[in-house]
Amino acid sequence: MKAFEYANPTTEKDAVTALRVDGRIALPLAGGMDLIARMKDYVTSPDRIVNVKNALDTTIAAQPGGGLKIGAGVKIVDLVENAQVAKLYPAVVAAAGEVGTPQIRNAGTVGGNINQRPRCWYFRQEEFNCYKKGGNRCFSPAGENQYHAIFGNEGPSHIVHPSSLAVPFVAYGATFRVVGPNGERTVAASDFFTMPTLQNVRKENVLADDEILTHVMLPAPGNVRTGHYEVRYKESHDWPLAFTTIVLTMNGNTIQSARVVLGAVAPIPWRSADAEQALAGKPLNEATAIAAGEAAVRAAKPLSRNGYKVQITKTAVKRAIMQIAGLKPVQLRA
Amino acid sequence: MAQKNKDPEKPEQIDRSRRNFLKTAGAVSTVPLVAGIAGAAVADAQTGAAIAGPGDVPIQLMVNGKRLNLNIEPRMTLLNALRNKADLTGNKRGCDRGVCGACTMIIDGRTAYSCSTLAIEVQGKQIRTVDGLANGATLHPVQQAFCDRDALMCGFCTPGFVMATVALIEKHPNPTPAQVKAGLDGNICRCGTFTRIMEAATSVKGVARG
Amino acid sequence: MANAQQPGAPQPAPTGPTANAKKYAWPEKPVVLSTRVKRLDGPDKVSGRAKYSFDINRPGMIFGKIVRSPHPHARVTAVDLSEARRAPGVKAALVWKEPGTEAASEVRYQGEPVAAVAAETEEQAIDAARLVKVTYDVLPHVASEAQSMASDAPLVFQGGNTRKGATQEMGDLEEGFKQAAHIVEQTYSTHVITHVCMESHGCVCEWEGDKLTAWVSTQGVHASRQQLADGLKIPQANIRVITQYMGGGFGSKTNVGAEGLICARLAQQATAPVKLFLDRKEEHLDTGNRPSAFAKIRAGVSADGKLTAFDGQSWGTGGAGAVSGFPLPYIYQFPNRRRVHTDVFVNAGQQRPMRAPGHPQGCFLTEILMDELADRVRMDPVEFRIKNLPEASPNAAWGDYFRQGAKAFGWDKRHPTGDPTPGPIKNGFGVSAHQWGGGGRAGRAHCEITSDGGVVMRTGTQDIGTGTRTIVAMLTAETLGLPVSAVKPEIGDTMYPVCGASGGSTTAASISPAIRIAAGKALDQLFEKVAPQLGVSADVLVADTGRIHVKGNASKGMTWKDACKLIGTEPISTDGEWEAGLSSTGTSGVQFTEVDVDIETGIVKVKRVLTVQDCGLIVDRLTAESQVYGGIIGSLNFALFEDRILDRVTGQMVNPNMESYLLAGMSDIPKIDIMLVDTPVQRSRGVIGIGEPPTVSTASSIANAVRNATGATVRSLPLHPHKILAAIEEQKAGGTK
Repeated sequence: MKAFEYANPTTEKDAVTALRVDGRIALPLAGGMDLIARMKDYVTSPDRIVNVKNALDTTIAAQPGGGLKIGAGVKIVDLVENAQVAKLYPAVVAAAGEVGTPQIRNAGTVGGNINQRPRCWYFRQEEFNCYKKGGNRCFSPAGENQYHAIFGNEGPSHIVHPSSLAVPFVAYGATFRVVGPNGERTVAASDFFTMPTLQNVRKENVLADDEILTHVMLPAPGNVRTGHYEVRYKESHDWPLAFTTIVLTMNGNTIQSARVVLGAVAPIPWRSADAEQALAGKPLNEATAIAAGEAAVRAAKPLSRNGYKVQITKTAVKRAIMQIAGLKPVQLRA
Repeated sequence: MAQKNKDPEKPEQIDRSRRNFLKTAGAVSTVPLVAGIAGAAVADAQTGAAIAGPGDVPIQLMVNGKRLNLNIEPRMTLLNALRNKADLTGNKRGCDRGVCGACTMIIDGRTAYSCSTLAIEVQGKQIRTVDGLANGATLHPVQQAFCDRDALMCGFCTPGFVMATVALIEKHPNPTPAQVKAGLDGNICRCGTFTRIMEAATSVKGVARG
Repeated sequence: MANAQQPGAPQPAPTGPTANAKKYAWPEKPVVLSTRVKRLDGPDKVSGRAKYSFDINRPGMIFGKIVRSPHPHARVTAVDLSEARRAPGVKAALVWKEPGTEAASEVRYQGEPVAAVAAETEEQAIDAARLVKVTYDVLPHVASEAQSMASDAPLVFQGGNTRKGATQEMGDLEEGFKQAAHIVEQTYSTHVITHVCMESHGCVCEWEGDKLTAWVSTQGVHASRQQLADGLKIPQANIRVITQYMGGGFGSKTNVGAEGLICARLAQQATAPVKLFLDRKEEHLDTGNRPSAFAKIRAGVSADGKLTAFDGQSWGTGGAGAVSGFPLPYIYQFPNRRRVHTDVFVNAGQQRPMRAPGHPQGCFLTEILMDELADRVRMDPVEFRIKNLPEASPNAAWGDYFRQGAKAFGWDKRHPTGDPTPGPIKNGFGVSAHQWGGGGRAGRAHCEITSDGGVVMRTGTQDIGTGTRTIVAMLTAETLGLPVSAVKPEIGDTMYPVCGASGGSTTAASISPAIRIAAGKALDQLFEKVAPQLGVSADVLVADTGRIHVKGNASKGMTWKDACKLIGTEPISTDGEWEAGLSSTGTSGVQFTEVDVDIETGIVKVKRVLTVQDCGLIVDRLTAESQVYGGIIGSLNFALFEDRILDRVTGQMVNPNMESYLLAGMSDIPKIDIMLVDTPVQRSRGVIGIGEPPTVSTASSIANAVRNATGATVRSLPLHPHKILAAIEEQKAGGTK
């Protein structure tokens, strides 16, 4: 990696200040599970690293009204083991428990997970000067796109958003607290992630260079039932091929309304309006689950080599609903 | 592979108006923005964001119960600092990207990929490496179990697996196979010792809860 | 290198055991051999005390870094080292690809070395390498077999993009197909994978005047010495190569490579020791791979299940200008057959032998076909295979192994192709067979017994993770009647007697006879000293349980320690060399696999593998079993996960790491049952070797199990979910063509 300065602030304010370097580049370092590898591959070469672990909130606090406020510095392992989170937002724990490996969960933070950069292998290899690195093309459409998007493929980028936590956060209607030199602001999770355009393709979200994400606020879940299902190729340490968090508001055994968010299939956590419509007003049973799965992929536009993800996404949606219905869908596990 | 010094990740369109405003309004803190103050700032236990590096910085690491004084650049990983500057070569570099686990150490009770940890950021933490596990000639029970079950072949992944297993056993003294899988899924072996590592991990005797 | 063996080809006429081999024949009832002895270097490895070449830190040592071509095909027109030389800490820099001459300046794959630097710290070396300015004239490239073979392909290799071999024919093909009641005509393929040694390639080189000491991560210390001597143009006698511990080779570390010579040159220039080890990306790009294998096959079977005809056109790529051959058909007897193979060149890293070179490919391309043919004649796959085996012999015992394995596995519970159980999880069984050569030739050992009772056995072999160090001690201990702990094995150094490289599963069979003979001769000399003390002739003495005594009269003797006191000041010092009669070649084995397949996602889970494997006389049962576990897991990776993927447009590798180059972790490992064949027949064959055979056929049995589960045939590796799902779709629509 290129040599860099190192700052270790202990307050949000100092962290924001340390991120401001005129004409140079400063990046926050949380768990380092993404940034350090990127630096070694010269995908990014900051002049300054700001260790934000000692500046960020690392607590999980109950909120008046029934929600939770999660510090962005909370380690993923602590999220997994938190009883309140498990009780109120089981999909968050389900997603967090599948992130990476024990070592990654021990170091990785909530904020880092949300802000991590794509796994796209063109992005991650120096030889490919793609849009996200200031180049003028995306290599995936004509190339090896088996792990790229099947929704939101208008371009210019065809990445899938890599965050596991982003999907349940969007499904539960979370908001993020962001702090910058001009103070703080709140961004809905569903507004935080950005679909790529030629203007914004260098980033995956609305965070400015001198802002940090400090908290995830989860509203009281209400009377909902949640499902979360991930499909992975390799069981140990692999990125999901497709996954989903589904939150159902029930009226007896009838689904009143649904939030269906798909992961690993689009440049952002993908709300599936088609699946939500297919669920609203239907009984919670296998037939509904099957129909919802089919609806979820109706608008999919896969690339040349990832059509198989359509079937896998359909299956993930179906099985997440079956999970909620208590039908115990299969999962091939060790 | 000559490289330009631009950062590929950073957009060209910087919000220059805001930066200019801040510059002319005066610094909000006394953060020195001059690079290369080698040795001038110890990057721990300071209020305000003191800047260290990019040249060598003196740091203190607690490794296997002993204090280690090193001079390192902020970019030096914990793994390289211990291997190249302290001859603690029990810890191995396999992928150098936080995947294979050959570099696994236990930091403040939790396993970590030391290749993806900066040496400068773990000052003040308790670092345990494989080099400090045995008690003289007496192997740690996990190490002994690995030897007894032949849970190793070339041995290059072994220190990482040993540390991951120690952390596992300290949390679950009698782990089930499911717990072993969950605990060791962050380590890879190319020789294929997994079967016997599982046997070793489920047969360790004599480790207290950590 | 011994991996060039062609098992199945006629074996050289046996020369019979030599006089020494008869005299020092393996014991009828070994005390140590074939038992489970713990690895002697286990404690050093688990404690981190073991110093691998990567760990060697020498006083004043600096770090080397290679500059490599990012282009798959280019000509180097200029290399400017000036800015690199001025960079902080830089002590040496050199050009490796000289611009100017057409041949020398051509780069034929991404990752080919072009230049190198050395600097005081690793970080400085990496910085400096990035300051080397290389000017490339980028040339057209081919990124895949198909691109290389296309009629409009750019000509990117001298003499052509492909090289067709001779046609091998036997019998009467036309007649064979006439006899066939059923014909299968399909294309099968396997893919390129890399070795992924956990310890990367590299070395530490230290000069003292014109003498070089090199700690190399190598499978052959003596081979490395010769290569360094040739490359540096200095006498072999000036070079010492040391490899006490080595983090995996799998066939890729039998040559010091460019990195070895570059390291030595940098060390010369800098007049300082240099450590140069590759990073993971360099490993994937430039340290070898298993070539791909394709075969378009037409095969016929008679109504009663006898194979009648095989016509195969095969091809594959070993990368830039390299070979890609493999045996085909594999094991089963097609009396009428024809086969022609074409090497296809691609602008990618060159192949190096990879654990059982050629066999995993030949096995897969034959074994799926065998299940398809078996289905045509509605025969059980095991019965079908048994019916078409070559003549049985001690190293071709598949008939027996199929039956034993099938019984232990519960093969009779197998359902016909296509699990009828409702639901998305389908279960299936698969089977495959394999063979390998092994055997040995080049082994020498030196035994020293000192008056304090100490025993040292020195041999210039190396332990690549197989447990060689331990068997050196075991073989000596067995011969001298001592516990293993009483023997000090010394290996991994060119100061010790010359041995071949560890490859082809030849190490154990190469060194065992040498050690047996050296120890046997040493014991004879000790007997000569003891005999007068006991008033007997030396030929009635035996050594066991730590004593030397008269055969049949345990009390008439003395302890080992007392016997050795008679040695005096000049230690007993004997040499042994490999001789025929204590080892042999040829192994056979079978594997059975059970899988679950989720047909709604295409995910495959291997649930269990059972193998029956012979290897002659088992030396250390514990480490032999570990080799079998390891080989099977390696083949599981080949079947399901790992894949060297090149971008089809730019030709550059998209996954040169361990994140998206997938390898199994603990949760991906099935239950593995090992049945090592330990019979008088096998024991009588002497030591053979076991490192490679177990890795040949697991992938094939997995693929057959997937076929049995889903009813759909996937004919190419790896068995990625997209292939499983596509095959299932095709099957629904009317069959997998």
